[in-house]
Amino acid sequence: MADSTKVGKTFDPIVWEVERGKIREMAKAIGDPNPIYLDRDAAIRAGYRDTPVPPTFLTVPMMWSSSMPVLINDLKINFMMVLHGEEEYEYYRDIYPGDTITGIPKVASVEEKTSKAGKNMDMITVEILYKNQDNEDVAKARTLLVERK
Amino acid sequence: MGNDLYFEDVKIGDAMPELSKGPIMKLQHVLYAGASGDFNPLHTDDDFAKAVGMKDGVISHGMLVMGFVGQAITAWVPRKCLKNFGVRFAGMTKPGNTITVSGTITDKRQENGENLVFCEVVARDEGGDVKITGNFSAALPLKRG
Repeated sequence: MADSTKVGKTFDPIVWEVERGKIREMAKAIGDPNPIYLDRDAAIRAGYRDTPVPPTFLTVPMMWSSSMPVLINDLKINFMMVLHGEEEYEYYRDIYPGDTITGIPKVASVEEKTSKAGKNMDMITVEILYKNQDNEDVAKARTLLVERK
Repeated sequence: MGNDLYFEDVKIGDAMPELSKGPIMKLQHVLYAGASGDFNPLHTDDDFAKAVGMKDGVISHGMLVMGFVGQAITAWVPRKCLKNFGVRFAGMTKPGNTITVSGTITDKRQENGENLVFCEVVARDEGGDVKITGNFSAALPLKRG
């Protein structure tokens, strides 16, 4: 069982400087040809200040910071049995190259569930609220981890 | 861009333009690992993947497939209008799969001065197997603001 006493616990902040090249790299890895992610002039013509980040970009600071393995260890979750069940983003403000965003991972809930097939699973929800360098909320990421037994 | 989409243009039941991606190559997993920072060998190392029970070898990053869905959404709805985007990972995607993203507008309403549209999305492979179900909401401009 994942350690349910850790609900509400927060982890070390993820601090990430957003770079235009990383935005382009992410769009190219997805194979997204939308010029707003690739070309600053095209983004400006479309009404953006610079190249905005693609909708799933916040996986970048989360993964590169190795935040999730730290959290998984701390919650005593068996890494080999973890599935990524759900992912959700709320967008409050645009994120642009040159921004420094800071996210605080927080364990939102730990629940035990039984699947239709009768197998026990732990459902661990992690929320990360990201703020920018002006201390404005920019986005929230919510990740559901499923630990199979 | 010329992709201006207005609140008046969208009706409940309207379909989002479909997007097909693939067939997925293992090379794309390597690109996505580097871009995202997700270096779990389950996505790039066939020997490792087989050792942990994936008899056909590596599987795609779920977040790559969510990225396809994000591409489909922001090819239609301007990125700056997107308010919320969530998915459930329903099945594993493998190299060779071609993923088609589709969606349907489920609701639209004006609330707190915003013109909101709500859309269900689904990503399926070439055999119709569902890989992702999800939804998004967006605040669209009015033609006569």
